[in-house]
Amino acid sequence: MTRRHSRDCRELIEQLSRLIDDDLSGVERRAVMRHLRRCPCCGDFVASLRHTACVCREAGHATLPRAVRARAVARIRRLLAHSGSPARPRRSRRT
Amino acid sequence: MNPSTRQTAATAREHDYPELVRAVRGGDRDAMERLLMRSQEVAWRFSLMVCGGADDAEDAMQEALLKTYRYAGRIREPEAFRTWLYRTVRNACLIQRRRRVDEPARLLSLDELMPSPDEGPRVPEPADRGRLPEDLAINAGLRRRLRAAMAKLPRTFRVVVFLREIEGLSTREVADIVGISEANVKTRLHRARLFLRRELEDA
Repeated sequence: MTRRHSRDCRELIEQLSRLIDDDLSGVERRAVMRHLRRCPCCGDFVASLRHTACVCREAGHATLPRAVRARAVARIRRLLAHSGSPARPRRSRRT
Repeated sequence: MNPSTRQTAATAREHDYPELVRAVRGGDRDAMERLLMRSQEVAWRFSLMVCGGADDAEDAMQEALLKTYRYAGRIREPEAFRTWLYRTVRNACLIQRRRRVDEPARLLSLDELMPSPDEGPRVPEPADRGRLPEDLAINAGLRRRLRAAMAKLPRTFRVVVFLREIEGLSTREVADIVGISEANVKTRLHRARLFLRRELEDA
């Protein structure tokens, strides 16, 4: 099946991030959903955009490698050992 | 997607910053250690995902550590700490990065990001379609491809993807950190998603 994006599709694609972020008004959302029901091409597109957002969230959140974490911990220990108190609460001026 | 469904296990812990800051102000050493580790983790991730590599990460981590230490005991509004931290890390990382010249400086036009007429969805699946996104196991190859795709994005877009998508900050927080309007954050995020979709598809 040949599928083509129309001018309506182009306008819709501009709104797809707002759709997947639940940021459309009720009227806008209904209009987008109406279009998606009759346009499988855009339905596929919104599915792939959702997947992209999902990939970013899941694959983007890297954890520190062990060696980097060890150096980070060592820096904290040095800083706190050098400075004594971990934090100095503000003194009240009303004494 | 509403904020509660956007929140992943990895970002959920970011929301207890106010509690940590209050504990630090009360002299809690353990809370201070955790806050200092968080600040370094943020600096490392920012260096990796926004600045395109971990070369400058240790310097940025050191800067984030010292600034957090100096600031955490003095902050008036614990709820504002997270925004402060990301702004501080962003500035620290970008100062390191300014020495480099390999930044793509172009804008992303919608025309070049529109799908081709006959295409279907071919973005690589993080895992099989039958599982919920939260349960997806991400393999190392996909991480590499995402990082490579992110590196091709102009930095102004990369920052928004990092803060909004990866770190889970709100549109308002991102606008505040980057110094642009909320509308601009949404536009950049949308353009960036279209770009990343195409890049991941082509990979």
